[in-house]
Amino acid sequence: MRYVIIGNGVAGITAADTIRRIDPEGHIVFVAREAFPPYCRPMISNILAGSAELDELPIRPDDYYRSLGATAYLGVEATGLDLESREVSISAGANLAFDRLLIASGADPHRIEAENLDLENIFFMRTVKDVLGMVEALPKVKHALVLGGGLVGFKAAYGFLSRGIRVTMLIRSGFPLSMQIDQTAGEMIQAELERHGLEVRTGIEATGFEAGEDGAVRAARLSDGTSLECDAVVVGKGVFPARGYVPSAIETDAGILVDDSMQTNVAGVYAAGDVAQHVDVARRRPWVNAIWPVAVEMGRVAGHNMAGYPMRYPGSLSRNVIRIFDLDVMTAGMVSPRESEGLETAEGYDRRRHTYRKLLFREGVLVGFVLVNQIEQGGVLMNLVHQGASLNGLTAEALGPRFNVGQVMGRGRQAGTGYPAPAVGAPSTRHTANAAAAGSSAAVTTATE
Amino acid sequence: MKQVIVHPERCVGCMQCMTACATAHSTSKTLIGALLEEPRPAPRIHVGAGLEDEGFPNRCRHCDPAPCQLGCLPGAIYRAKGSNTVMVDYDLCINCASCAMACPYGVIRFAEDPKAPPGKTVAVKCDNCVERQAQGKVPACVETCFAGALTFEEPSEAMKRRTGEVAASISLDAAAHRVPLSASWDLQSEMKRRQKALDQR
Repeated sequence: MRYVIIGNGVAGITAADTIRRIDPEGHIVFVAREAFPPYCRPMISNILAGSAELDELPIRPDDYYRSLGATAYLGVEATGLDLESREVSISAGANLAFDRLLIASGADPHRIEAENLDLENIFFMRTVKDVLGMVEALPKVKHALVLGGGLVGFKAAYGFLSRGIRVTMLIRSGFPLSMQIDQTAGEMIQAELERHGLEVRTGIEATGFEAGEDGAVRAARLSDGTSLECDAVVVGKGVFPARGYVPSAIETDAGILVDDSMQTNVAGVYAAGDVAQHVDVARRRPWVNAIWPVAVEMGRVAGHNMAGYPMRYPGSLSRNVIRIFDLDVMTAGMVSPRESEGLETAEGYDRRRHTYRKLLFREGVLVGFVLVNQIEQGGVLMNLVHQGASLNGLTAEALGPRFNVGQVMGRGRQAGTGYPAPAVGAPSTRHTANAAAAGSSAAVTTATE
Repeated sequence: MKQVIVHPERCVGCMQCMTACATAHSTSKTLIGALLEEPRPAPRIHVGAGLEDEGFPNRCRHCDPAPCQLGCLPGAIYRAKGSNTVMVDYDLCINCASCAMACPYGVIRFAEDPKAPPGKTVAVKCDNCVERQAQGKVPACVETCFAGALTFEEPSEAMKRRTGEVAASISLDAAAHRVPLSASWDLQSEMKRRQKALDQR
């Protein structure tokens, strides 16, 4: 069996690892634009912030491809895909025949409509190379301009601020992270960053850039006719699936459409990660969730199916966690103002603990949440959203500081959705409750369930 | 392989396991010493209050495959070979909380640790007391649990015993001479429930 995997991001390598476990003989070929060893993309912002070193980035050993028995074309782009002859053409000039193909080419940053976007020190923050360029430019940077109030914009701003560099952020919409979180949390984050020197301007965009004598960016022209001096610019306007080489015979929407086995409409051709579009379980509709944990899940499922060991993907869930200075923010599901319209909500702000929690329900089912600080129990909520589970009237508890998984299980018993409440005089049913606590059918908490 | 087994029905909520756990993960290994240490060691087991304020000992299940491991960005979470224990490499951990976002049980905390690089906040979770086990001791939480809510035994043995208990509790003559599996818990929680109900009348 010949497997070709386009992309060496976490979706691609997770799929390859999975394939290798199932099929020790098959020939695995990687085609990847990035020559750097497989690395942790979300950590590139830590490099900018100076909180991680370059050698902390790789997530596989140096001899990864060799130990996997794989061939790797690195620094090479897939340029075309012939579905008749079942070959991938690559920029290195070869054609790679496949029996199973995985398209895991990730996503590219959105470019913006602005003059002189190609000036020196105007960056996109997507690859380790991008960030190394930024780090190299740091000594000369006094004032950085960040375009976009999304996660990338915030991580870039955080990185510059951590280096003691002044940052101005331009946001087109009303508040930061408006795609990821609700207004209250967005404003808390903005306040935290402003406390550390960030300047945020909303409802304004950059329309062009001016070069200094050295050819590097010197100023940005803004949509209100003014200009702003800056010596570094980061464009953080989101990403879109990198699928320019994919022929139209493969069905796409925003991303490449895949079924529950991660297969496209063409047999033997799969897609996973940021390039793929499956279903979001909270939104209940096709959705691209271009995030790390989803790429891992999809890579695993794709790998199983490609190697002939069928496995279904139940759908992804959008989620994120960021720590910005002294603020921790975790979100999942449908929380943006646009999406949460019409949903039932419950929220609580605890001034003393400096925490904020918001829960969103659709017909009683938890479909999203925002946690600001005290995020340790977020995984419990995340899994309830992922399961499409009801909170069983535990809303007040979930908004409180003492929320824990034992309460969820206890209410399950009380509500009769599994385990009846214990009562004196009746045979104790706590042993079954114990099974619930163990999270498996076993009446014990084992290390292997 | 022996494992820590949780019997929440026996937990009285005394939180001694948390103290013992933190002490076991200190440098001095004594309670007084641990209190004086900087950073102060964090417990890996967490006794939460259930809906009726009953104790709920919550510790890592060492799931396999483990959601926290799959979600870990820098690849700091790994399964120790041969011990079924999910571990955190403090050198690699970047304190991003992706593991906490993935953990369905909410058992991961973030703290400085005597074993982590100084000043670095890392993800801390149950390590099955690998250090103590290597010395032939049982995990600290088990050693200190007087209520019998935490035991260290072969899972198959515990399952067998539990199956027997369940069978006995539903057998035909059970009604005649029934002893609840957890008399103390049943009684206490019933009293709590009634007290709440009476208070609200």
